[in-house]
Amino acid sequence: MKVKVISRSTDEFTRERSQDLQRVFRNFDPSLRSQEKAVEYVRALNAAKLDKIFARPFIGAMDGHRDSIKCMAKNPNYLKAIFSGSDDGDIRLWDLASRRTVCQFPGHQGAVQGLTVSTDGSVLVSCGSDCTVRLWNVPDANLADSDNLSDNSAKPVAVYVWKNAFRAVDHQWDGDLFATAGAQVDIWNHNRSQPVNTFDWGADTTISVRFNPGEPNILATSANDRSITLYDLRMSSPARKVIMRTKTNSIAWNPMEPMNFTSANEDCNCYSYDARKLEEAKCVHKDHVSAVMDIDFSPTGREFVTGSYDRTVRIFQYNGGHSREIYHTKRMQRVFCVKCSCDASYVISGSDDTNLRLWKAKASEQLGVVLPRERKKHEYLEAVKNRYKHLPEVKRIVRHRHLPRPVYKAANLRRTMIEAERRKEQRRKAHSAPGSIVTEPVRKRRIIKEVE
Amino acid sequence: MAVKKRKERAVGGESGNSKKFKKYSNSKGPMKKNKNDKRKKGKGPRLPSALRTELDRLDPKIASDSDDGIDLDVGNDVYEYEEEVPQEESRKNRRFDPVENYEYELPEDFEDENVPSDEDDDDGDFGVGGNKGSLNDDVDASDGDEEEDDERHLRMLQGVTGMSTDAFGGKKKRNSVVISEAHPESEYNPTRDVLEGDSHITLQDLLDPIQGKAGYSKLRKRVQHMDRKSTSVQAPLPKVDREKLERMAVYEHSKKDITKWEHLVKRNREAPTVFFGGDVDLGFSTVGAIASEFEPRTEFEKKIASLVYDDKVMEAHKADGSKLLELNKISEEDYMKHQDHVAKMRGLLFRHEMKQKRIKKIKSKTYHRLKNKDKLKVESAEMLMDPEAAKEQARKQEFKRAEERMTLKHKNKSKWARRILERGLNAQDEGTRAAMAEQLHQHALLTRKINTVKDSSSSSDSSSDDDDEVSNEDRASELLEKAKEKTLKVLEDDEEVPNSGVLSLPFMVRGMKKRKEEAIEEAKLALQEYEQLEGTNDAENSKPATASGRRVFGRANNEVPDSNKKTKTDNKMKMDNYYGNSDSEDDLKAKENVNIEGGKRNDVEKDVGPNYDRKEAADVSIFKNFEDNGDPGSKTTYEVAIFASDSRRKMKSENGIDKNAKKLQQVKEAIVHDKDMEEGEEDSDSESKQMVDGILSSAPKESYELPSQSELIRHAFAGDYVEEEFEKDKQEILNEENPEPDKPVLLPGWGQWTRVQQKKGLPWWMLKEHEDSKRKREESLKKRKDAQLKHVIISEKVDKKAEKLQTKSLPYPFTSKELFEQSMRMPIGSESNPETAIRSLNRPEVVKKPGVIIKPIKFVEMHHHEKSEDNKRSGQKQKKNKSKGASGKNKKQSN
Repeated sequence: MKVKVISRSTDEFTRERSQDLQRVFRNFDPSLRSQEKAVEYVRALNAAKLDKIFARPFIGAMDGHRDSIKCMAKNPNYLKAIFSGSDDGDIRLWDLASRRTVCQFPGHQGAVQGLTVSTDGSVLVSCGSDCTVRLWNVPDANLADSDNLSDNSAKPVAVYVWKNAFRAVDHQWDGDLFATAGAQVDIWNHNRSQPVNTFDWGADTTISVRFNPGEPNILATSANDRSITLYDLRMSSPARKVIMRTKTNSIAWNPMEPMNFTSANEDCNCYSYDARKLEEAKCVHKDHVSAVMDIDFSPTGREFVTGSYDRTVRIFQYNGGHSREIYHTKRMQRVFCVKCSCDASYVISGSDDTNLRLWKAKASEQLGVVLPRERKKHEYLEAVKNRYKHLPEVKRIVRHRHLPRPVYKAANLRRTMIEAERRKEQRRKAHSAPGSIVTEPVRKRRIIKEVE
Repeated sequence: MAVKKRKERAVGGESGNSKKFKKYSNSKGPMKKNKNDKRKKGKGPRLPSALRTELDRLDPKIASDSDDGIDLDVGNDVYEYEEEVPQEESRKNRRFDPVENYEYELPEDFEDENVPSDEDDDDGDFGVGGNKGSLNDDVDASDGDEEEDDERHLRMLQGVTGMSTDAFGGKKKRNSVVISEAHPESEYNPTRDVLEGDSHITLQDLLDPIQGKAGYSKLRKRVQHMDRKSTSVQAPLPKVDREKLERMAVYEHSKKDITKWEHLVKRNREAPTVFFGGDVDLGFSTVGAIASEFEPRTEFEKKIASLVYDDKVMEAHKADGSKLLELNKISEEDYMKHQDHVAKMRGLLFRHEMKQKRIKKIKSKTYHRLKNKDKLKVESAEMLMDPEAAKEQARKQEFKRAEERMTLKHKNKSKWARRILERGLNAQDEGTRAAMAEQLHQHALLTRKINTVKDSSSSSDSSSDDDDEVSNEDRASELLEKAKEKTLKVLEDDEEVPNSGVLSLPFMVRGMKKRKEEAIEEAKLALQEYEQLEGTNDAENSKPATASGRRVFGRANNEVPDSNKKTKTDNKMKMDNYYGNSDSEDDLKAKENVNIEGGKRNDVEKDVGPNYDRKEAADVSIFKNFEDNGDPGSKTTYEVAIFASDSRRKMKSENGIDKNAKKLQQVKEAIVHDKDMEEGEEDSDSESKQMVDGILSSAPKESYELPSQSELIRHAFAGDYVEEEFEKDKQEILNEENPEPDKPVLLPGWGQWTRVQQKKGLPWWMLKEHEDSKRKREESLKKRKDAQLKHVIISEKVDKKAEKLQTKSLPYPFTSKELFEQSMRMPIGSESNPETAIRSLNRPEVVKKPGVIIKPIKFVEMHHHEKSEDNKRSGQKQKKNKSKGASGKNKKQSN
C-alpha cells in the first residue's frame, strides 16, 4: 500500500533560530475565503471595543504649585522637561518621567503670565504681571536627573523691567528674538534690556503671542479688542488684522503647515485660518462648551490639543470639525494651559487646581516597547477600524464618550440653541423674498472684518 | 519790518540797561538779541506784535517804562494774571550777583569781540545802567545788521539759484538806497501792495529788478521752464493712511513668501503616510565601521592583536605577500616532529578501526545483549551524573517516539507480522506470539504520549484509518464485541432510584421505569443483531449503512440493491454524482440502470408501477395514451413523464422532453439527452428548447391529430396549481410585511348594557380607525415595487442584520457610492494578502517613533521635474516623503 505524504523541502521550513515562527504558506485565492470581509468587519468591531477597554489616557498628576497654573513651556530640545508658571510667581521645571519638580525659579512678584524656552533649550524666558521679563539658564538635563535636591532653585540671568505688565511671551524658532505681549507687542533680544522693536496697532491689550515655527519671522497675536493680528519681522511691521465677534484667547501655528494657524476662541470654538485668506476660517472646530483657554499643535501637525474653561481637554484633528478625544477627571478644574509633548505622544494640561496632568495623546495606546509582531497587529486593527469606521455600529462605539454631567448638559443645551437658531433662520428665509436673506456659513459668521 | 525791529530794540535798550549793552552797541546781530529779549522776558502773556507796536506808537512813554506797564494796562481786562515782581528787582536771592557788576572795569587792552548774537542775553541784566544808546546809534547798528542780513540772504539766494552774487548786487545797492517808511507798518499804514489789493509777491516781481543783469536770461529761462512744467508737490499723507499702505504691502509680501510652502504642505497632506523621526542617527552602519573601532581588552585579544599587528607581518603584507612565505619557514626538526605525530595518530586510528570491525563481526546474540546491557548501564549512570547526558537521552527517546508515530513500525505492519496475522495467531508458537505482544507493547509505549494528549481525536482517526485498511475484520469484530459488552452492561445495570429530589416523585419513577424497559428491549434487539452480524463477517457489513439512505423508497427499494449488485462500480459512481439529490432522482437512476442493461418495456412498467400508485389518475391516463401509440421511443417517454411528475421544479425541461418524446425522433438520442439532463439541469434546459423548435417544424408530418400545446400542458400539469400557489405565497408575504388591521372588537361586557347599544354596534371611532388602517394598508400595498408586477415578489422587509453593514448616507470624504464600496472591497488582513503587501496596506497615517523629538517643517526646494510630475498626478508619493518629507532632518536630540 502506498501512502501519500505532504512533501516539504527542508530548506524552506528550517528556522534560523528556535524562536522563529514556523513558516506558513497561504493560498490567497479570494474564492477560498468568501467570508473575509465579514471577518474583517467583526475584527474592526472588536478592535473598537478593545480600544474602549484599553482607553486609560491619564498617566499622572504633578502636584507642587500653590496657585493655579497660568502658563507652560516645553523644552524643544529635551523631551522630559516641562516648565510651568503659576499665579503666585512660582516657576517650576518638571521631570515628566518621574513626575517630580526638578528645579524652581523664584523671583517673580506677581503672576507668571508667560513662559517660553529658546530653541536650543538653554534659556528660559518668563514674564509676568510684575512688569519684568526674566531670563534663566535652564539647568543641564543630566544634572537635573541626579538627585541633588539641595540646590534646586535657580537665579535669573537677567531681569528686564519694562513699562507695562506682560500677558504672554513666545520665543522665535531658531533665533534669539522673543516677543512679549502686553499693552503693545515688544520684540526683545536676549542681550538687550530694552525691546528692539515695538508694535502698536490699536489701543487694547494684546493677550497672546505666538511665533510661526516654520517661518520664524512671522508672528500672530490676539488682543482684547477681539482681533487677531499678523506681524512680519522682516519688514518690522504689522501685516493684517482680523476682528471676530469674540475674543481669541490663544493661537497656535501648525508646525507642518506654516501658512495655517488655529485660534482658540471665547465662543467655545476653535478656528483654523489660512494666513493668506483671513476673510473666512478654513475650519471651525466645535465641541467645547465653554471658552477655549489654550491651544497647542502636535508636532506632527495632524492634530491639536485644546484646554477649556469647561474643565476638559480635547484633541482635534487639524481638519476635523469635531474632537477626536475628550479628557477629564473629577478633580481637574478650569484648564488654563495645554501642551503637546515634542514626540507627539503625550499631552500635558495645567489647570486651576494647581496640578499639571499628563495624558496620553492616544488613549488606548500601549506604552513601552512594542515588538514588531505586536505593532503589526496594532496597525492592522487600526487599519481595519479605520476602514469600517463609517458603519453604524463601529462608529457608535468609536465615538462614544462618557462625559461629566455638566458638560453633557451644557452640550445638549448648546445643541438645542444652535438648532433653534438655525430653524428660525430657515423660517425667516422661507417667509421672505427669495435671495433677500443669505445664510452665511459658520466659517464666516463669526468674523466681523478684516482690517488692512 | 526793519523799522519795527529798530523801534523794539530802542524799547529794549531803554528797559534793559547793562554794562554789556555798550558792548552790544557795536556788536552785530541785535535783532536776534531782541527776539531773545522778548522771548525770555515773556513771563507773562505777550501781546501780538501788531498790537504792541500800535501801543508803542500811541504812548511811547508807557512802552518805555517797562513791559510790566503794558501788561498791567492791557492785562487787567484781558487776563486774570498776576505778575510777580521780577526777581532781579525783588533781589530775593543773590543769584544775580550785583556787586561785581558795579565794580567791573574793562582792562586797557580790551577789545570788542564779535560775540555771536545767540549769546546775547540782556535778560539777566539789571536795569542799572542808563539809556546810553541814542536813536542814531541804533540806526547805525541796525544798518550794520541789515548789511549782514543782506549778505546772508545773498548767500542763500546764490545757494538756491546757483548764480553769482552779481545778479543780486543791484538789489542790494538799491536796498541800501531805500529809505524806510516814515511810519511803522500797521493797519493804519498799509503798504502799497496791500492798498493795491495784490498782496502776493510773484516771481515776476522779484525778477523785474534784475532785468538786464548778467545771468538774467538764464534765470528767466529756468523760471519759464518751471512754469511750463508746473507740478505741485503733494502734501504728505496722514500717518494713518501711510501705515495702512505699508501694512498692505507687508501683508502682500509675506503672503507671497509663505506661499512657497504650498507644495510641501500639499505633498504632506496627500501622502497616505507621513513619516516622522525617520532617520535617527544610530551610529555605525557597517561591520567594517564597527570593526575599525575595535580595541582589544582581554589578554587573549591583546595577544592576537599583537600578532596581527606585528610590524613584520604588516610589512610582509604590504609587499604583495612574498615575504609572508619567508615568515612561514619551519625548521627541519619541527617538521619531523610534526610528521611523527601525524603517523602515530594514524596508527592509532587504524588499530581502533580494526578492533571495531572485529567486534562487529561477532554474531553471538548473548554477547550483543550483554554489550547492550552494559551500554545501558553506563548510560543510566551517566544520566544520573550528567544532566547534559540526560537531556540527550530524553531527546533520543523523543526522536524514537516520533519515528514510531511516523512509521508505525511496531503496529503489525511489517510483512512478517502480517503474514503471521493472516495465518492466525493461535496457529503460531509461543515465541512468535510473545514477539507480537512485545511489538504491540512497544508501539503502545511509543505512542502513548500522543494518545494522552489528544486521545479522542487520535482514536477516531485510527478507527477511520482502520476502515481503509485491508485487515479490518478483526477490528470490526472487536467493535462488535465492545458494543455487545456495553449493551450487556446496560441490561445488567441496576436502576438506582434516587431517594430524594424530583426524580424520587412517583410519576417520575414510573416514567423512568417505562423508559428503562424500552431501552432494555432495544438493547436486546441490538444484541441479536450483533450476533447475526458476527455470524456473517464479510464485506456485506457495509450494506445496511448504504441501504439506510434509501429506505424511503419503499417497494422500489427492493429492486435497487439487485441492480446495484449487478453494476456495482457504475452505481457507486452514480451515487457520488447524485449525492444530496431528491428521492425521485434516485428512483430514476435505478430504472435507468435497468434500461442500460437492456431490459424490456415490461420491465420498465413494472418498475414504474409502484410509484404511480401515488400519482393522480390524469397522469396515468396520459401515460397510457402514449403507450397506445406504440412508438419505439415510448420507453423514454415513460421515464420522462415520471421524472416530470416527480419533481415540479424542473417543469420546463420536462416539457421539452415531453414534446421530444412525442416527436418520435431517434430514441437513442433522446436517451442521451435524458442523461445529460440528469447531470446538469441547465444544459438540459437549453437543449430542450432546441427540441421545441424541432417540434414545431416537424409536427405537420404526423397523421395523428395532436392535442394543442396548451391542452397538453394543462393535461400534464392538471394537479399543479402553480399560479394559485404563487398568488397565495405573494399574499402571505404581503400580509406579513403589511399586516392586515385587526377587526375592531369590544371587550365583552363593555357597552352592552342595553339592547339599544348592542343594536348600534361598534362605536363610530373604532370603525373609522379600522377604515383608516385599511386604507393605509392598501396605499402602502399600492406603493410597493411589485404592485404592478404579477409574477414577482419583491420583498421590502428590512433586514436588520444587513442594515448593520450599511451606512445611511455617503460618508464625508467619499464622493460616490462606488468609491466608498471600492474602499472596502478587498480585505487587508494577512490571511488574504502577502506579507509584502500588508505592510503598505496597513500603514497608519502618521508613523512616528516614541521618544523622538519632531522638529517643525524645513523648507526643501522642489525640483523642476518633481513639479511637473506633481501637476500630472498628485496621488502617488509615499516613499518620497520619507526621504524628503517635512520631518526631514530630525535627529535624535533628546539628551
